[in-house]
Amino acid sequence: MTVPKEQLLDFYRKMVLVRRFEETVEEYSKKGYVPGFIHLGVGQEAAQVGAMASFQEGDYVLPDHRSHGVCLMVGTPVTEVLAEIFGKTTGCNKGRGGSMHIADFARGNVGNNAIQGSTLVTACGLAVASQIRRTGAVTFIFFGDGTVGRGEFHESLNLAGVWKLPIVYVLVNNGYAISTRATDAHPLEDLAEMGCAYNIPGVTVDGNDVEAVCAAVGEAAERARRGEGATIVELKTYRWQGHFSGDPASYRPEEEVRAWKERCPLKATRKKLIDRKWATAEEIAAIDAAVEKEIQEAVQFAVDSPTPTEKDAVAHVYVGREVAGK
Amino acid sequence: MRTITFKDALNEALHQEMARDDRVFVLGEDVARMGGDFGVTMGLLRKFGPDRVKDTPLSEAAILGVANGAAFCGLRPVAEIMFADFLTECYDQLVNNSAKAHYMFAGKVKCPIVVRTATGAGFRAAYHHSQNVEAWFMNVPGLTIVAPSTPYDAKGLLVGAIRDDNPILFLEHKMLYGTSGEVPEELYALPIGRAEVKRPGADVTIVASMKMVHHSLAVADELDREEEISCEVLDLRTLIPFDKETILESVARTGRVVLVNEAPKTGSLNAELAATIIEEAFDALKAPVQRVNALDCPVGFAPAIEDYVVPRPEDVARAVRAVVDY
Ligand SMILES: Cc1ncc(C[n+]2csc(CCOP(=O)(O)OP(=O)(O)O)c2C)c(N)n1
Ligand SMILES: [Mg+2]
Repeated sequence: MTVPKEQLLDFYRKMVLVRRFEETVEEYSKKGYVPGFIHLGVGQEAAQVGAMASFQEGDYVLPDHRSHGVCLMVGTPVTEVLAEIFGKTTGCNKGRGGSMHIADFARGNVGNNAIQGSTLVTACGLAVASQIRRTGAVTFIFFGDGTVGRGEFHESLNLAGVWKLPIVYVLVNNGYAISTRATDAHPLEDLAEMGCAYNIPGVTVDGNDVEAVCAAVGEAAERARRGEGATIVELKTYRWQGHFSGDPASYRPEEEVRAWKERCPLKATRKKLIDRKWATAEEIAAIDAAVEKEIQEAVQFAVDSPTPTEKDAVAHVYVGREVAGK
Repeated sequence: MRTITFKDALNEALHQEMARDDRVFVLGEDVARMGGDFGVTMGLLRKFGPDRVKDTPLSEAAILGVANGAAFCGLRPVAEIMFADFLTECYDQLVNNSAKAHYMFAGKVKCPIVVRTATGAGFRAAYHHSQNVEAWFMNVPGLTIVAPSTPYDAKGLLVGAIRDDNPILFLEHKMLYGTSGEVPEELYALPIGRAEVKRPGADVTIVASMKMVHHSLAVADELDREEEISCEVLDLRTLIPFDKETILESVARTGRVVLVNEAPKTGSLNAELAATIIEEAFDALKAPVQRVNALDCPVGFAPAIEDYVVPRPEDVARAVRAVVDY
């Protein structure tokens, strides 16, 4: 499938943004600016950007632990997402969530639960609410190949199948759950096939081809909007780095990593733009430079922002009930 | 004597006990090829092979289900749940199956499983990777909870736990994995259910476990030096059933009690310890029992919040002064 020129240029800009965002988070994590551990999506930009192209105002999305890019695609300002990861009060959750718990309720990002699989059943609730209210909203749930092993995945599919819930299951298959190969953890090569047990159609596409991703997720979202129920869209991709920043990932053969880096989604999109004569090398460089400026401004913003203090510790434990501090 | 880390002591316990008893096997996420998220199961796959060292899919309920089933027919599984927070995903197996099988089936079956898991705050890993979970499991008759504080105890208690015929939740505080101490090379087992006097004293009894033992010892040394207060520090080592005799014997001598536990205060282990002391040693008390716990709120992401919420050495010192000055 081919998207129009303007859209492919937009995809390219967004993928560069996600790539540079992740690289920047890693750089500043190594410099000591980022508390906790972070999971980077370098290599998975086409999956995140292409899938979120179908996300509309009023829809819901549940990102997972490797979803900084998804959070950006919701439309939350880069500054606020970065500040959140830095644990600053200017972050979209006032620095209380961090990398694994980025949410933006006003824009439909309902946030991640770092217990893998939990959001799969939460997704059913969002979808039921939009059925009850007849809003036509679609719920996009991002999760990995490993998380298919959780019971919640199967409970979610069963319910979505029988209640025809408007959910798009965005199954990001990057081949691994930490050190465990998807092929060692599941009895199927294409995990989207699991949908057939629940009467939910499943499609498997090249997750590094942003146009293919956009088309498959778009079709699934339209199906959901028409009231025809859920779809699993499996996006085959690869994470370039370890499971978390700092994981040497010695459980993966080097040739495998090299081969996947050859299939860089940014490089592929640049090639398409050039081959179709939709952009010159100079125009592409200008996009890269504009993104870089945005990233550096966000870094400055995040670095300069204040951190929460002890006084903030006991806020929000209950609604309308206080908890004593020390 | 040789000095090794807490993590290596656990690793050695598994190596030696698996060599001694071929009924012992290990399973969990990333325990085989990678050697565990914290490296505790490193090298086991090479030595004992894939039948006895199993990487599982991301399926906590299935991990515990396999452990229970295998234990019912005579094996001695050691299951790893990567972070204690994920025990929610196999709560049913542990609470309704492991803990009750022996009772429910009139003693005809045993469930000699060990569930190893990383617990505790201090890792900047926020809500779902930092909790102290012992209180979630205290109200479950049949379940034993073991929690070492030193490499020596880690090795001996893990061996003791594997040899015990009961289901045991074995808590490993993640901030202790890198700590070092003297550990004999030979295989040894320590008894389950026995506390240890880490430091004798006359004025105040401090009861602690895991990381809080180290806080308590540091405070005891400082108060001895600076304020001539003599604290006796008890390390529970087994949280449930706790060693009532050792606690009551100490309280009978000191009459003053400070209980230190990293979990939120309400409904914590400290509540149970305090109730027991008040019930059985009321007449010996010279001051109200003091509890030092985390605040009744989640472990936050922002470092300032995390550090404030959990007990700090100064909180322990303040409680000791309070019982002395009463
Ligand atoms: C219930 C639960 N079990 C285990 C973990 C630890 N964990 C975090 S991410 C992960 C692997 C997830 O793999 P996958 O779903 O393929 O996502 P990827 O990391 O590859 O993006 C594991 C085991 C967790 N957070 N929650
Ligand atoms: Mg994966």
